[in-house]
Amino acid sequence: MEHILLTILIWFGLYMIVCLSLNIEYGYAGIPNFGRAFAVLVGAFAVGGVANRVLMFIFGISNGIIEGSASVKSAMNEIMARDPAVAILFLLGTLCIAAILGAVLGAIFILPSARLSEHYLAIALLAISEVSYMVCYYNPDIMGGYYGVSTPDPLLFFQGEQRLLAFSVLTISIAMLLYGIVSKMLNSPFGRLLKAMRENDAVVEACGKDVMLLRVKACAVGSSIAAISGALYVFYTTNVIASSFNRAEWTFYPFLIIILGGLGSTNGVIAASLLFVVARVLLSTYKWELKSALHLPFEAVWLEYIIFGVLMLLVLLFKPEGLLKEKPTMTKPIREMVKRTGKGARKQA
Amino acid sequence: MLVTENLTKLFDGFKALDGVSMKVDANSLTLIAGPNGSGKTTLINTICGFYKADGGHVFLNGEEITNMKPHEIRKRGIARTFQIPHPLKKLTVLENLLVAVAEHPGEKLLRCMRCSSWERAEADAVEKAFELLEFLELDALWDTEAYKLSGGQLKLLEVGRALMSDAKLIIMDEPLTGVNPKLAHCILEKLVELKKRTTFLIVEHRFEIVAAYVDRVFVMVNGRLADEKSEAFREVIRLLCFK
Ligand SMILES: Nc1ncnc2c1ncn2[C@@H]1O[C@H](COP(=O)(O)OP(=O)(O)OP(=O)(O)O)[C@@H](O)[C@H]1O
Ligand SMILES: [Mg+2]
Repeated sequence: MEHILLTILIWFGLYMIVCLSLNIEYGYAGIPNFGRAFAVLVGAFAVGGVANRVLMFIFGISNGIIEGSASVKSAMNEIMARDPAVAILFLLGTLCIAAILGAVLGAIFILPSARLSEHYLAIALLAISEVSYMVCYYNPDIMGGYYGVSTPDPLLFFQGEQRLLAFSVLTISIAMLLYGIVSKMLNSPFGRLLKAMRENDAVVEACGKDVMLLRVKACAVGSSIAAISGALYVFYTTNVIASSFNRAEWTFYPFLIIILGGLGSTNGVIAASLLFVVARVLLSTYKWELKSALHLPFEAVWLEYIIFGVLMLLVLLFKPEGLLKEKPTMTKPIREMVKRTGKGARKQA
Repeated sequence: MLVTENLTKLFDGFKALDGVSMKVDANSLTLIAGPNGSGKTTLINTICGFYKADGGHVFLNGEEITNMKPHEIRKRGIARTFQIPHPLKKLTVLENLLVAVAEHPGEKLLRCMRCSSWERAEADAVEKAFELLEFLELDALWDTEAYKLSGGQLKLLEVGRALMSDAKLIIMDEPLTGVNPKLAHCILEKLVELKKRTTFLIVEHRFEIVAAYVDRVFVMVNGRLADEKSEAFREVIRLLCFK
């Protein structure tokens, strides 16, 4: 029971981060980033590919990345077991690398396609993401390919259930921190401008704002945040294999969540992340029971895809605005003005 | 102020603009008249960078701005409205105006996180926006999403967005269509008052309303500016002077 609860918390944190990022890009800026999984993969690469190589260099290990990462792991774990400060430094350092790499690659990723209109953009981003995924999976030199690479474990002080608890606390804290930052950013004139771009980019251009630059900025921020979640996921599993970063889990589900929660509604997105994760964890925990209870003619794992696919269709058909409606951007000066002039009597049409 | 030289725009070989050369004087209210489909909107779009010119030049205060991107042209001082209203549908009326603020510090990615660095500018913008909304009789609708507005109200929103910017030259494409005559006169009076620091270039078919406020007229026919001696030009003048 405790195990299920902790698993839910961890996945809630991870999905909340990814969905916050997608909400910036799609919910606010209107960029249909069907390549969300790419940014998450970049976060994993920051740990498995970049941090591992840096450590190999520091320890003077000159094997390939696959054997090298194993040596790095044992060497690092030994050091971190002696000195918790190193563990914390390693954890924060890699998260920073992930965020920076995510921002840079996210920006580069959107550059060639930023001019495209919405549908083409979605397809282009999906294609770029799929290609990167294939390259990372079939080329062992990048991050171990289909063998994967192992990574040091900064939470090695905790064992078993305790480690799960520590990790869930870590994930939720980071998710909350990011929530604070993102809400602040979106509740500013910058957030308002992103929404304006989603509604009509010609107007934004006519108002003297560079739409291309805005799109790049939105993608950089979004991808940077998504990459943090990728890196965290790697710390959860302490190894990286590209196939964990597939489009169903890291692109399709986040889209489902933000549409369910209500595009542009940060709180709705969080509520939907929680609902989704609870449903998913329960579903995968009790899939055998379900299979026999319902006399399913197929493996119960497919149930997940079917249920969430149908859910997506139902939401789009019957409640396209989602659980919570987007709220207007009320900056402090607006609130003060409204209070002063008594325009508070909101007219609801 | 604004000068175009031989401005030409082709749509699949069709000459929508055929060598338009015009001069708009600073601090004037200039009218562009002409039949439907004569190229007035195309001229505006080409001046403002929404269409690429196929020939000719545009100068603003001596600086060439031909074929710059729309946002660059706006930054140099030309604001515009759209003939077909372009509301930001899911944004409130107030937000629709606030987006038009030029160089808002709170719209910068990193600065937006430090409220103290933009709240002053935002407060000024909100103040100005509410004044404008009151003037345009939209103030009761300030927190209504733009998709709920009526046709005339959408037009007023376009005008409001143009007036929010403190541009040197404001180009309006049929700003008064669907606006009730009394308010239309109020708007034109306001433009005349603003002429002290701004120049207006306006396309409008409702001559009976604009007549009293116009300083200069250009008439477009089939993508060209009509000669002052031509029949088309004289007819427009006749219509304007009837009033
Ligand atoms: N994007 C476009 N593609 C092809 N043809 C166009 C395009 N825009 C305008 N045209 C053509 O160019 C001509 C001029 O159009 P424009 O919109 O400039 O007319 P207008 O003078 O603004 O008319 P109105 O008074 O009705 O608004 C028309 O014949 C129109 O069909
Ligand atoms: Mg027109």
